[in-house]
Amino acid sequence: MRVVILCSSIYSETSCAMAMRLAQLGYVPTGAITLPSLDLHTVLRKVGQWGVPEVVRYAQTKVISRGRTEAQLRNPYLEQLLQHRTGSFRTLREVAAGYGFPIVTCRDQNAPESIEQIREWSPDLIVFTGGNILRKPLLQVPRLGVINVHLGLLPEIRGMSSPEWSLLNGVPVGVTVHYIDEGIDTGPILRRSEFPEAAQCSSLDDLRNRLIAFGIEKVSEVVTSLDRGTISATPQSELDEDNQYFVMHEWLQAQAERRLNEGHLAAAAVRAHG
Amino acid sequence: MSHSQADSNSDAVLGRAAKALSEAAGLVRGPQRIFPLVRRLAADRLATFEPRHLYSYTTTERATGDSLKLLVRWILDAQRPDGGIAAYYSLLTGYSDSYPEVTGYIVPTLYDFAHVTGDNHAAVAAERATRWLLSLQMPSGAFPAGLHGGDPQPSVFNTGQILQGLVRAYRETNRSEIRDAAVTAGNWLVRMQQSDGSWSGPGTYQGVAHTYYSMVSWALAELSAAVDDEQYGLAAERNLDWVLRHFAPSGWVDGINLRGHPNYLHFIGYVLQGVLQSAILRRREDATRAVAKSAWVLLRRFERDKFLHGAYKPDFKGNRRYACLTGNAQMSCVWLRLFQQTGDLRYLNASLKMNEMLKQLVPARGGKGIVGGVSGSYPAWGAYQPLRYISWGCKFLADALLLEQALTRQFEASACAS
Repeated sequence: MRVVILCSSIYSETSCAMAMRLAQLGYVPTGAITLPSLDLHTVLRKVGQWGVPEVVRYAQTKVISRGRTEAQLRNPYLEQLLQHRTGSFRTLREVAAGYGFPIVTCRDQNAPESIEQIREWSPDLIVFTGGNILRKPLLQVPRLGVINVHLGLLPEIRGMSSPEWSLLNGVPVGVTVHYIDEGIDTGPILRRSEFPEAAQCSSLDDLRNRLIAFGIEKVSEVVTSLDRGTISATPQSELDEDNQYFVMHEWLQAQAERRLNEGHLAAAAVRAHG
Repeated sequence: MSHSQADSNSDAVLGRAAKALSEAAGLVRGPQRIFPLVRRLAADRLATFEPRHLYSYTTTERATGDSLKLLVRWILDAQRPDGGIAAYYSLLTGYSDSYPEVTGYIVPTLYDFAHVTGDNHAAVAAERATRWLLSLQMPSGAFPAGLHGGDPQPSVFNTGQILQGLVRAYRETNRSEIRDAAVTAGNWLVRMQQSDGSWSGPGTYQGVAHTYYSMVSWALAELSAAVDDEQYGLAAERNLDWVLRHFAPSGWVDGINLRGHPNYLHFIGYVLQGVLQSAILRRREDATRAVAKSAWVLLRRFERDKFLHGAYKPDFKGNRRYACLTGNAQMSCVWLRLFQQTGDLRYLNASLKMNEMLKQLVPARGGKGIVGGVSGSYPAWGAYQPLRYISWGCKFLADALLLEQALTRQFEASACAS
């Protein structure tokens, strides 16, 4: 199966780990489309989200220490996935060099030149690991579609800060692998998986990091199943804009973290999807 | 366009130009205001280079309590020797005269602040304001339109807004003269109400009905509860029914109906606040649902665009590149009340973010009239109350912060209890 990866930056650990995992399973990406890493708006957004010290630390880890394998990962649960014979990959460029697939940088993944490049690769499937909100012309290119892993159970928790909203709303923490359509997290569901280790997480960061690693594993399972033709997607019920959640304010994040630390985790039955 | 429309439009343009010139002349009379004006313009020009930069979901360095103190300090500084609160501090002309309408509905904010902080100055200011308001009441029970000092004309809207303050002052002091003034005002409002539930004709702005007069309903619903007289509550519900007929399926609220002005977010906020507060007092779930729909549309816009426009066209189409900060604070109040009513944390989330943004825009330094002020527009040269710090902006932001404090404390307490 021909798989293309979309990512927000060559420094995205999640994108690196996803490419590595797929390659290990025999689905070496046909190519990857990435956005420029040093975009002014992205830098400003990250400064707003993380604060200046964290952005500087990130830049040190990723850019200044480029190529130094001892550089620390933001997500330690991806360390194992990123290891190779002589060390660890730290950028998608390194992964691509290791496995021999091309990377193309574009300003917008929906841009005509990006779509043209993807068409040339003729993918069966696109795995989305970050970037723009995808539009119909791009979504129509791959034979099977574009899949994404959402860090929450759909359709209950759509949108941003899903693990945190799950904790506050008493919804089990989990991930959903789904096709992307033109809405936000509204596409047909391939697999919903409750996360069994939520109670062991020490913080929201820890939970999110573990969920990302868990999600990568679930995507790889879904890709394998799609290749074998043993999985089908289920359209989402409750397709209502009222199910959309937005980035959570720091004060509410603290309340969610308190729930996590106090063990107030929902243990509802997971509906069968895929 | 007819000749009369063309004449009326050119009159409006000339009127605005004359007003702008007259305000600019204020700098000649007060040259000490030039430096603060230039500083504010430069700061806003720099800050709005990246329009989304203020959208924040992290806690700002300024605590909510400190911001509240700044806002109330602005209000206390704006209290004039007669006891009324100025409408605004203009960067061109300084303080305005006392403004009866705003003085009335600032009274509950001052009492709320005094109770939360134990600061007696705010309660004393509320009592002074109430005494001044009582002196303005007309024999009919009405209160006058406009700034103090002009030819007093009875105003339905201002009477309703002042009634808010009188009801609260009566609840705080239990004084019979305040109760009597409130009842007389309420009786006048009921007499002036049309059979369809609206207020139009004499005593109304531009002589026509407006949906933002739902604020008057809120005051009547408060009066009904305070003096235990159902006639005021029924009048409030009649207006509520009339306003609800103007809610479109898109959530848009029609009938703001201000000729010559866009639909500023401030007036949309008025409609929603008035309907929601009346709905809560009168237990009208249909009205709460209608407000929730509109408030949700604006919440999604705010979360998506990181910004609410200063004014909207029907169906919330907006392209105004300035913020109406008062309207933002009012939306924060609406979202907080909806969180209180529904338990939906997304309303709380949006208002926490909105409040963070607004707190950053309250000057912590500067002279009287500037420090603690809320400007009409952001940037300051936006179309809504340009180059002015306005008293009702401080009032609504203080209300939003007080409500945020109360609800977040309740949430923490209930989390601990569970």
